[in-house]
Amino acid sequence: MATTDAKAESEAILGDLELICPAGTPAALRAAVDAGAEAVYLGFRDETNARNFPGLNFSPEELADGLEYAHARDCMVFVAINTFPRAGAPEAWHRAIDCAADLGVDAVILADIGILDYAARQHPDLRLHLSVQASASNAEAIRFYHEAFGVRRVVLPRVLTVEDIAELNSQIPVETEVFAFGGMCPMAEGRCLLSSYVTGKSPNITGVCSPASHVRYEERGSEMVSRLGDFTINIFQQSDAAGYPTLCKGRFVADGRASYLFEAPTSLNVLPLLPELMAAGVSALKIEGRQRGRAYTAQVVAAFRAAIDACRLGEPIPEMPQLADVTEGQRETSGAYRRAWR
Amino acid sequence: MLVLAAMTDLTSDSQDNPEQGERSAIGVGRASMVPPFSPVLLGGLLLAPVPDLLLRPLLRAVMAAVAKQHPGMFERLGSYADTVFLIDPVDLPIRFLLQADAERPKLTIAREADTARATAAIRGSLLALIDLLEGRVDGDALFFSRRLLIEGDTEAVVALRNAVDGEEINIIDDILVRAGPLARPARRAGKQLLRLARRAEADMAMLQDALLQPAMERIEAQAAAVDHLRQSMARAGSSRRRRAAKTPVVQE
Repeated sequence: MATTDAKAESEAILGDLELICPAGTPAALRAAVDAGAEAVYLGFRDETNARNFPGLNFSPEELADGLEYAHARDCMVFVAINTFPRAGAPEAWHRAIDCAADLGVDAVILADIGILDYAARQHPDLRLHLSVQASASNAEAIRFYHEAFGVRRVVLPRVLTVEDIAELNSQIPVETEVFAFGGMCPMAEGRCLLSSYVTGKSPNITGVCSPASHVRYEERGSEMVSRLGDFTINIFQQSDAAGYPTLCKGRFVADGRASYLFEAPTSLNVLPLLPELMAAGVSALKIEGRQRGRAYTAQVVAAFRAAIDACRLGEPIPEMPQLADVTEGQRETSGAYRRAWR
Repeated sequence: MLVLAAMTDLTSDSQDNPEQGERSAIGVGRASMVPPFSPVLLGGLLLAPVPDLLLRPLLRAVMAAVAKQHPGMFERLGSYADTVFLIDPVDLPIRFLLQADAERPKLTIAREADTARATAAIRGSLLALIDLLEGRVDGDALFFSRRLLIEGDTEAVVALRNAVDGEEINIIDDILVRAGPLARPARRAGKQLLRLARRAEADMAMLQDALLQPAMERIEAQAAAVDHLRQSMARAGSSRRRRAAKTPVVQE
C-alpha cells in the first residue's frame, strides 16, 4: 500500500517531465526519437545556432522530414536559433524563425531580445523558449522575458543548485529546463569571450566555441598537444583521457604549477540527482551534445529514458556504467547542482 | 601569477594559422599510436605482400558503393569535398587516401610518399574506424579515450565525421546492394566475420593484459621505489642546507 501511495505521489509530481535530446543530423534525430526522447532540439546549417560546426545541422528540407518522423512518433521538435545577430544584420535569424514557424516546429529556443521580439510579433502562436545563452538565472530576468515576449520555458544556466532551482520555480510563471548530461560550460553562458579572445569566433555570435578551424592536435612522442590558435592549451600524456580544446578546459601554469584553473575535462551527469530535480519542479531535462555522433545520442537518451521511467514508478535509478565511456575526459560531475566544492 | 599558454614553447610557431591557408604536416602520428594486439594486426601480416594492383579494384568498388548509396554525405562535406584525408588503420600495414569529391570520389592506397598530399589524418584501429564509419561509436568518445588520433586540418576531420555520421552507412550492406541472390548469404557471412573479429579483439586484449600484468606490476614497484628514493634525497638535501645555515661562519 505504501509503495502504491509513493508511486502515485511520484507520478503526480513527475508526470510531465520531458526528456529533451540533441540532434546534429537527421540520423541523430531518428536515433533520439527511437531511444525515447519526448523532444529533439536542433539547428539550421548556419550561424543562427550555437553549434555551427562543419557538416552538422539541418537544411529546411531535412527539418521538414525530421518533423514528420518525430511527430508521427509523438515527439516534439524544438529549433535553436540562439546566437546573437550582429548589429544591423538580423535577416538570417528572421529567416530562420519564419522557416521554423512555417514548417510547424513545436518551439524555438531564442536568446537575443531583438529576435525574441521579432518572433513574438510575427508569429504570436509560436512557442518561445529562452536559451541558456540568455543566461537568465534569477526570477526578475525570467519574469521580464515572460512578460515582454511571452516566453513559456527557460533553459537555466548551469550555475544553480537544486535548492536554487526549487526556489526559482516557486517564483516564476514559466517552465524550467535544466541540463542533465554532457559538456560543461563553466562560464556565464552567452557572455563568455574566451573563444573570441583567441580565435575571433564565439558561440555567441558565430555559433562556435573554439572552432575546429583554429584547433590543431600534434603528436610529440608519447604526448598529444592540443592547440587553439597560437596557444597551447593542453598536453595529454599517453595515459590521460582527452578533452575538448576549449580555453575553459585548458591547463594553465600559475605559480609554476600547471593545472585546470577553470574546469577539468569532465561531463555533467545528473542521474543520481533525478528525484531531487524532479521534486524541485523542473519541467524538462536537456541532454547536451548536438555535435556528438548518433551513437552517443542513442546511448545517452536510452539511459535517461530508463532512469526517468524508473523514477516515475518510484523505483531505484538503474546503474548506467556505460555512460562513462562517452564522457569528456572520462570523468563525471554533478556540477553546480550540488556545489561539492563548497 | 597566471601565465596563459606557458606550458610549452609553442607560442612562437604560428605556422598553422588556418586563416592564412597554411597546413600542418601529416604523418608523424602513427609512431605515437600503439596498434592493439588484435586479429586485424595478425591478419594484416598476410595483407602486406598483396600487391596494390589487386587491392585497387576492391577499394574502387567500396567507394563507388558508398557514394551511390549516400549522396547526402558529399553535400554535408561542402567545401571539404576536395580535401585529401589520410585514413590510417594503425593495425594494418597499409594506409588509405580518401578524397570525397561528389563527382569522382577516390579511395586509394597511400604509399609513404603519398601521405604528404593529405591535409588531415585520422588514425585508429581498423575496427574502431569501421565502427566510426557505421555510427556504432561516437567519435568524440573515441577521441577522449585516445583510441582515435587526428592530425592536420581539424575542421576538415570534423566535417567528414559529421557527414559520415549523418548517413547511416553500413559498409557490408552498401557493397552487397547489387549482389543479387548472393547478397543475403554474403551479408550474413560478412557480419558474422565482423562479430567474430570484435570478439577476438576483446579476447586478445584481455590476453595481452594478462601477459603484461606481471611486468606492469614490476614497473610500478620500481617507479614507486624511485619516487621514494627521490623524496629521501630531497629530504636529506634540505636538512643538510638547514644544518649549513645554522653553522656560524667564522671570519678571520
